[in-house]
Amino acid sequence: MKAGSDAEERLVRGQGDFLADLDLDALEACFVRSPYPHARVQSISLPGGRGLTGAQLARLAGPLRVDGPGLKAVPWWPLAVEKVRFVGEAVAVVWAEDRYLAEDLADETEVDYEPIPAGPLHEEAPDGVLYESRREGGDFEAAFGRAARVLERTFKTARQTPIPLEARGVVARWDGAAGRLTVWTSTQVPNLVRTVLASSLQLAEGDVRVIVPVVGGGFGLKAHVFPEELAVAALARHLGRTVRWVEDRRENLLASAHAHEETVRLRLALDDQGRFLAVDAEVSCDVGAYSVFPFSASLEPVTTGQTLFGPYALEAFRLHASGLASSKCPAGAYRGVGMNAAAFATERMVDIAARELGLDPLELRRRNAIREFPTVTAAGRELDSGDYLGLLGRLDAPYRELRRQQAEARREGRLFGIGVGFFNEHSGTGASEYQTRGITTIPGVDSARVRVGEDGTIEIATGGADAGQGHAETYRLLAARELGVAAEKVVVFEGDTDACPPGSGTFVSRGAVGGLTALTEALREVAEKDLAPGLEVTRVVDPKQVFPSGAHLAAVEVDPLGLNPRVIRYLAVEDCGVVVNERAAEAQVRGGVAMGMGGVLLEEIRYSEDGQPLASTLLDYLVPLAPDVPEIEIEHQESPSPLTALGSKGVGEAGTIGAFAAVANAVADAVQAELNELPCSPDRIFHLRRS
Amino acid sequence: MEQSLRVKVNGQAVKREVPPRLTLADFLRDRLRLTGTHLGCEHGVCGACTVLLDGDAVRACLLLAVQADGREVTTVEGMGEPGRLTPLQRAFLEHGAFQCGFCTPGFLATGEALLRSGRRLSRAELPDLLAGNLCRCTGYGPIVDAILEAAGSR
Ligand code: FES
Ligand code: FES
Repeated sequence: MKAGSDAEERLVRGQGDFLADLDLDALEACFVRSPYPHARVQSISLPGGRGLTGAQLARLAGPLRVDGPGLKAVPWWPLAVEKVRFVGEAVAVVWAEDRYLAEDLADETEVDYEPIPAGPLHEEAPDGVLYESRREGGDFEAAFGRAARVLERTFKTARQTPIPLEARGVVARWDGAAGRLTVWTSTQVPNLVRTVLASSLQLAEGDVRVIVPVVGGGFGLKAHVFPEELAVAALARHLGRTVRWVEDRRENLLASAHAHEETVRLRLALDDQGRFLAVDAEVSCDVGAYSVFPFSASLEPVTTGQTLFGPYALEAFRLHASGLASSKCPAGAYRGVGMNAAAFATERMVDIAARELGLDPLELRRRNAIREFPTVTAAGRELDSGDYLGLLGRLDAPYRELRRQQAEARREGRLFGIGVGFFNEHSGTGASEYQTRGITTIPGVDSARVRVGEDGTIEIATGGADAGQGHAETYRLLAARELGVAAEKVVVFEGDTDACPPGSGTFVSRGAVGGLTALTEALREVAEKDLAPGLEVTRVVDPKQVFPSGAHLAAVEVDPLGLNPRVIRYLAVEDCGVVVNERAAEAQVRGGVAMGMGGVLLEEIRYSEDGQPLASTLLDYLVPLAPDVPEIEIEHQESPSPLTALGSKGVGEAGTIGAFAAVANAVADAVQAELNELPCSPDRIFHLRRS
Repeated sequence: MEQSLRVKVNGQAVKREVPPRLTLADFLRDRLRLTGTHLGCEHGVCGACTVLLDGDAVRACLLLAVQADGREVTTVEGMGEPGRLTPLQRAFLEHGAFQCGFCTPGFLATGEALLRSGRRLSRAELPDLLAGNLCRCTGYGPIVDAILEAAGSR
């Protein structure tokens, strides 16, 4: 995909070329999906030669599978083969000339299911544990031994799903003469899709081209490789035709990827000054029916475990993390991943501690914040940079102002609460880090190529993939600055495996870490060589994790009748290192905070006792609307990372992580209750206040 | 069994035979190739498919194409001219009122209907008037700013 300087104008003209807008003369595929959470597929009767069953498709394409330390490698076939493991899992695919006819065929397909009332989902994991790990750092026994006080609480976050406004979609074309497969897919990880398609379909990587059209939002959902991508590609090769599948919202809610269903049990040891000594954490995540590709069932347990008590100085830390299978949609990446639950649990715990000790919450944070950088924490994290007291200091004045307002509101009998969310997060995870975790499915490198055209045009191509973050604009800005050329002379290519250097794609804010480092180095070399026409420089970087941080402040008012929490003020102080493109960074923070508010107040996918999902439309799954989101004030503090070329650290997830903590604390403060489960819905508040 | 449909789309008279079950959104997207009208839910909640029907903002996924018979439809492709954007489109660009841009045509249609209605738009009540359109990227603030600016410039 080429992004010229008119890319934004095309979007306001409705000329965006999203996946479903491509005119590729394709057959329409439609998936037949299971209404049962766990059942044996006895037989499938397909309407006349226009469909394939899971068993038939299994002969054309191999499964997704992730292996690694602590993981059970369970296969996830493009279509269920012998049994289904969640409602919405595809068991067959049918095709027709248009979508209406294809859906007719899906309706006519008859599937015989024999429900399985009990028993393990996977033979490979009879106990249902798909991932497990333990970790300990510092002198744990000693720290707990001299504690003046130990607090223990359990926190739960709700099962969510990202809901990019554009759902998933894929078009595959098979060129029989050349033996080449071309796949257009709405993804954040084009190179990974290519690698997996090649191995699943037993093609050479060079014979697969993946093209990413304009992407209507990803938020982590599109950082996976999905069974549907394999199925559509296999079908295109099988039929020798171009085949298209555009997901509808119901499928997206039931069967794309969910996230965030976590239980975090914390024990916090404190001394008599309110200093945190050590944390004992038990993190267990409901990861659904399969281990998602490429992140696996370890994704949330690991990221939560790593992020708990992140900005606080501890002497010791102990973690038991697990990912448990269930008959639900597989859990994957959603903006902030396990860091949201970590920030929520940590910061609720800190507020609870402040209350128990009779200390001001902001003061307690200050007392325990890490003060020196770089440093290695008790949990083993290598923090590259930061100024945590600086962050908290910026909250001081508005915090005190809000406390005054609160006193007044309370005199009037209003439910008015204030919450702080203080956190750090990791970004830009590289190849070596993934390898240490034993995960070989994620390349982990980032790349950029800069070419000087004969006419002086600067051509930038990267291994990233934009889903609305505004990569092209940032690259143009950077090229203009580094090379002294006009931004209009810069053309950006992303998301085409034939035209771009291989990289990891775009997630975990890696664009600002490895991506911008690779690009800056390449640009600087081009500048050194005086922009000689024809010059081409490629850089590949294996980034080291860096640690953005932030302190957020939220004020919430809960109406006494409906018990609806409403965020009335929000301040986000961010430290994402050097801000490269202020407009893009602030847009990320604003959008991220809005999403975090959704996670705390609204978003939840519930399942009935018998495994039926209870949210299959956007009327059941609520996301924030315009009246739900107040103006979001943003301040930047810049503590440059020494590990990236520009000192940038990434800001894609920070807004969401901070909001999970700040908004939840504000609601709890407003209703004066221990609100330790999300979402903070009116009925949950009602029951808490009654008990 | 097809039905004939006469409709004016973006100022042009169109005549087509269509199946009665075809939605207006699919008619615009698949038959006329006006793909600026996006589908975010196909069940009437997200507003991505919003178009103007005789000047009113409607959800094209909830209407059948045949219901537009004899009427006039304006889609995002009918806003502005080559080389010239509408004030609302310009304001969207200036304020960064989108990131991925998938919700944008729907917001433009809703915004355009609000601007044409002639009602006074205030910062306090505009968010409520936009509650029928979802955006997952922006947090809405820049969209509100853009519509207010376009309203002020009229
Ligand atoms: S697509 Fe019509 S309202 Fe969502
Ligand atoms: S800009 Fe992406 S949904 Fe609004």
